[in-house]
Amino acid sequence: MEIAQFEVKLKEVLTNSHLVAVIEPMTLADFKVVKKSREQFDKFNWNQYRQKEVYKLRLKEEDVILGLMCLVDHTDEATDAIEIELLEVSSENIGKGKRLDCIGGCLIAFAYRESFKRGHEGCVFLVPKSSLLDHYPAKYGFQYIPVKTDRRPNGFMILFESGARKLIKTYLDAA
Amino acid sequence: MKSYKEIEKKHSPEEIAESLVFPGPKDPVKREKMLSALREVRKQQKENQSEESKLISQLLQLKFLMEDYLKADSFNKNFYFGYFLNEYIARLEKKKKQFAQEIDVDPTELSQIINKHRKPTEKIIYRLEIHSNRNFPAIMWFKILEKERAYELLHDKSIVNNERSHVKQQLKFSLT
Repeated sequence: MEIAQFEVKLKEVLTNSHLVAVIEPMTLADFKVVKKSREQFDKFNWNQYRQKEVYKLRLKEEDVILGLMCLVDHTDEATDAIEIELLEVSSENIGKGKRLDCIGGCLIAFAYRESFKRGHEGCVFLVPKSSLLDHYPAKYGFQYIPVKTDRRPNGFMILFESGARKLIKTYLDAA
Repeated sequence: MKSYKEIEKKHSPEEIAESLVFPGPKDPVKREKMLSALREVRKQQKENQSEESKLISQLLQLKFLMEDYLKADSFNKNFYFGYFLNEYIARLEKKKKQFAQEIDVDPTELSQIINKHRKPTEKIIYRLEIHSNRNFPAIMWFKILEKERAYELLHDKSIVNNERSHVKQQLKFSLT
């Protein structure tokens, strides 16, 4: 069952109040908007992901896109998990001067909810940059699994059922 | 597009991890090696997973499916009250008779609800909330029932027409 729109709450840093936002699938028109919004989404070329499962987050009463996430559903029995292939919060909402908080957390928690919903038992993974190995676990509770390669260690971040429930409770249950 | 070095100049690693996920290896060999290691971890996790953890995952799946169905504008005639009740009982791996005893309902009544031959009473809905330790609140079951009724009303004119003979007087004008 595909979801048309999922409500979450973001925190407005300045006022410490909550604003209702929605997560919904990207349309082709949205990709055109993102392509034009180079200042807001300047880290990745989202146009390359047009054929993939991409979600956007926006305030319920506004059209401005605040966050993007690409998911890969690994339906084979052995993997049985959802991969967060790409995620980007809009530039003005990253770092100390950000206006809205919890955009990344809400998107990641949404991925966990989808994982439960699709029968993957809350299993979600992502591939980290090596300089972020300590920070995904600290922020979102991921566990790092190293994979030895010929040249340098590589690996992935993963979280299972109980950790997934905590993230859902933190970021989605307040909505 | 900004390089990682450019991003690092502007933001701390904490800020980056909070807000960005970068794509994994593009090289098919590297990616397969990573996925192969992941499948091994997943296999071990499944082997060590407790029965309670499996049950929680299955019940969460059902709850999220029910929530999404209620949010959706469309109807699905297969998603009626009895379908979700049957799923709840099946995921608990209980026999219907045993479940009927646990909520003090006649097994025949339970079976008729599941098979769409009878509507659930309020008491059953309240008992479902209590049985699930409020994980499946009564309001959620009422909304499923309400959506089912709306679907029936839209698709079966006889539901209202059957009551026509009981109405002795009716308004003679339309508001629109």
